[in-house]
Amino acid sequence: QQLHRVPQNPLPRYTAGLPRFSSATAREQPAVSGPSEDKVYLTESCVKRLGEIMGKGEYLRIHVEGGGCSGFQYKFAVVSNKTEEDRVFEQEGVGIIVDQDSLEFVKGATVDFTQELIRSTFLVLKNPQADHGCSCGSSFSVKL
Amino acid sequence: VSKRKILPTRAALTLTPSAVNKIRILLQDKPEYIGLKVGVRTRGCNGLTYTLDYTKEREKSDEEVLQDGVRVFIEKKAQLTLLGTEMDFVESKLSSEFVFNNPNIKGTCGCGESFNI
Repeated sequence: QQLHRVPQNPLPRYTAGLPRFSSATAREQPAVSGPSEDKVYLTESCVKRLGEIMGKGEYLRIHVEGGGCSGFQYKFAVVSNKTEEDRVFEQEGVGIIVDQDSLEFVKGATVDFTQELIRSTFLVLKNPQADHGCSCGSSFSVKL
Repeated sequence: VSKRKILPTRAALTLTPSAVNKIRILLQDKPEYIGLKVGVRTRGCNGLTYTLDYTKEREKSDEEVLQDGVRVFIEKKAQLTLLGTEMDFVESKLSSEFVFNNPNIKGTCGCGESFNI
């Protein structure tokens, strides 16, 4: 019995220690409490950049599709039309659009605009749905 | 063993006009920096990734590329992997980045950040 316990112990401790744990519980909630928790968050720099580049009625669309080295990848586009399938997340006058299918893969995540010398771009950060991603952050695999 | 020196016949790195332009803008209000330094790091799903930093002084082993008045230094480690590469600056509404068109690479990651040679 001792031998059986040893390999079992580290695993629950490991998952409990992960910073994602709180968001993982948030992921369980929508099924019970409705779609109010299916949110996508925007960072300050993202809001600021969107305010600079977006015209009136334009939104940043986040779309998840198959591809990339880890199975799924994020696509960003500037759009001005939205359909009934879309969810809009607005903050301080700017908004992003996520379609219902893509939202399943990005709910609870944060959209950021990173600025580095070599590149500045929009990124999806802290996605509770993503297991591990590519180093560039554009591709990810889904937690099962 | 003779002390024959092998001289490079062409620049190790070429810059596109948009890259030159961007580097000039970047360095305009930063007189303490003499140029940018390009390097490679082991990172990413495909082995290597490019790094870019401001540099204050030229290190002995750095390769200097001077084109249209802007200086780019190449780290010793990156000189072989970067040979013949074109450095470009691509800007769109959603992102702006320096892109390296490297003839030596065998494969890249989907995002284009990581590569192997």
